Amino acid sequence: MTAPMISLPAPIFAKISPHPFLVRNLTRSSTAEHPPCRTNGRATQEFRPVRINAASLSHAHGSALVRLGDTTVICGVRGELLPVEHIPQFRPVDKEQLRQKGEDGGDGGDGIGRGELRDYDLLVPNIELATGSAPQFLPGVPPITLAQTLSTRVYSLLHSTGLVEARDLRVWYSPKEQKRGEDTEMGVAGDGREEDMDEDEERLVAYWVLYIDLLFISYDGNPFDAAWAAVVAALRDTGLPLARWDPDREMVVCSKTERRALNVRGLPVACSAAVFMEKEHSESGAGPGDSGHWLLLDPDRLEESLCKEVITMVVDCSDGETRIKSIEKQGGTLLGRELIRGYAGIAERRWKEVRRAME
Amino acid sequence: MSDRRRVNGPAGTTLPPVFDDAVFEKLDTRNGRSRPPNATRKLFLKTGVTPSASGSAYLEIESSAKPGVSGLKLSCSVHGPRSLPRSAPFSPHIVLSTHVKYAPFATKQRRGYLRDPSERDLGIHLEAALRGAIIADRWPKSGVDIIISIIEGDQDRETSKLQGDEVWDMMNALSGCITVAAAALADAGIDCVDTVAGGVAALVQDAGDGSTPSIVVDPIPSEHEQILAACCVAYLPTRDEVTNLWFRGDLPASDLELYTSIVEHGIQASKNANRVLIDCLSGTVG
Repeated sequence: MTAPMISLPAPIFAKISPHPFLVRNLTRSSTAEHPPCRTNGRATQEFRPVRINAASLSHAHGSALVRLGDTTVICGVRGELLPVEHIPQFRPVDKEQLRQKGEDGGDGGDGIGRGELRDYDLLVPNIELATGSAPQFLPGVPPITLAQTLSTRVYSLLHSTGLVEARDLRVWYSPKEQKRGEDTEMGVAGDGREEDMDEDEERLVAYWVLYIDLLFISYDGNPFDAAWAAVVAALRDTGLPLARWDPDREMVVCSKTERRALNVRGLPVACSAAVFMEKEHSESGAGPGDSGHWLLLDPDRLEESLCKEVITMVVDCSDGETRIKSIEKQGGTLLGRELIRGYAGIAERRWKEVRRAME
Repeated sequence: MSDRRRVNGPAGTTLPPVFDDAVFEKLDTRNGRSRPPNATRKLFLKTGVTPSASGSAYLEIESSAKPGVSGLKLSCSVHGPRSLPRSAPFSPHIVLSTHVKYAPFATKQRRGYLRDPSERDLGIHLEAALRGAIIADRWPKSGVDIIISIIEGDQDRETSKLQGDEVWDMMNALSGCITVAAAALADAGIDCVDTVAGGVAALVQDAGDGSTPSIVVDPIPSEHEQILAACCVAYLPTRDEVTNLWFRGDLPASDLELYTSIVEHGIQASKNANRVLIDCLSGTVG
């Protein structure tokens, strides 16, 4: 008697034995209509299409929804005011000085601007995964390590790319302009006022703090690329209300009708890939020549759980030439100099796709 | 104490923007209710938004014609049934755990990441509403998680004064939560006796203090001068049962007629929502 043949449908096979399942899919003998591909039907160097919807929330100052296959993330940007007297160790900023440095008017120097952003912590990104976005992310517990790492990575990338400029976040009080306005209204000539020049000086009264909150609705791998695209798209959509200092009430008031769009510099795009090894339990000492490996772009949840080595490259091609803003690589020794150099070309391709989705 | 697992921002407190009142009055046009008193707003429901969950659904309620008024946007995912952890005591039926969380950008004021009491309250009401619909003893020793994120709360951005009426907003949110959770439960294939849907009705006063109050369904607090009482009903239509009733307001105890009439209007609203729910489910599930 022969043993009965057991045949399992693909999803069950993927669940009970994921590694051989993925290897078999990738090494399948190539035919014309079925080239070897990943378990999700993509070629190894194929991204999932990205879709971006901006400005869908009404309470946030800027928002975006990004879908990367089955990964869905919502980003809301909300500005709140930080009066300078609430800042411990505040260093007054002189507008004249800024003007000389070309910081205030033209596009320019990032020395002081970035210092302010970082010193006063004006950008507050947070990522929430515990929304039931995947079975392992359940609410009721403090944010897991992945959520913390993602928040920190977004935070540091926001600062290092200089996406937001400090001058967009400063709120000035210029007594001259406002007095002039009052004078013409009341019809009083302001002769005596020109003497007290000290009080007429423009001064910085508050900063906008941008709370950037990201909520994962659905999680299927590659969270950083999706989150970063959502942050960039939401910041591009952000418009802060015009704010001015009200000297009588001694507080900052905002205009209900007028908004000023945020100046977002460049368009950095993150591009991640994972290295999949043919051998499931390779020793750390084994050389790369021992077994086959694949570079899987834009990994999904199954692939992420099987790969140790991950690379993320952030590129910006908006100036016409490709600039690498950051490279992060962890968990393995396979990606060498040549591979990373080649990877820049892949990231460039990804940048074009994301830019198309943004517009 | 600050939460060290999150990015907390500046040490000093930040203030939400305060808008200029002079410009404000002109914009504040209270044009009243644009629908008939017994009509609910349009509802959009879709299942399967989170493929990795056992069941999920997304609900959106149309915002009214006024710009700046956001409709309700809810996303719900259901995980389970799965076995309870070893440490949990024996349970002869399924253990429901519900989480309702407002997104930080869902309301006028920014919300924190920790659940506040009102969100816990919503979770408890939701659990009560669903417990009556699920056939709980089919899954002994197992648990199911129902997680709802409120992406956008039902709040008016334009109202100048905070009317102290957050509870009315919560009622609308709860009725949406019940409907979306029922859709997600059905999507997860968890057996229920019937589809449960939420509905809200309210007793409102539109013209001054002396006028006679009237009953409307699906109220938006900003469309009415004053809400005297409101109730949120979770209702099973084929069994004609109410699984959860949340009533709040100020009614004379003698007038029982008025009270039952409000509840009946709530049931009416729930029936409307149920029709959308059935349409959505018969399109996808079966």
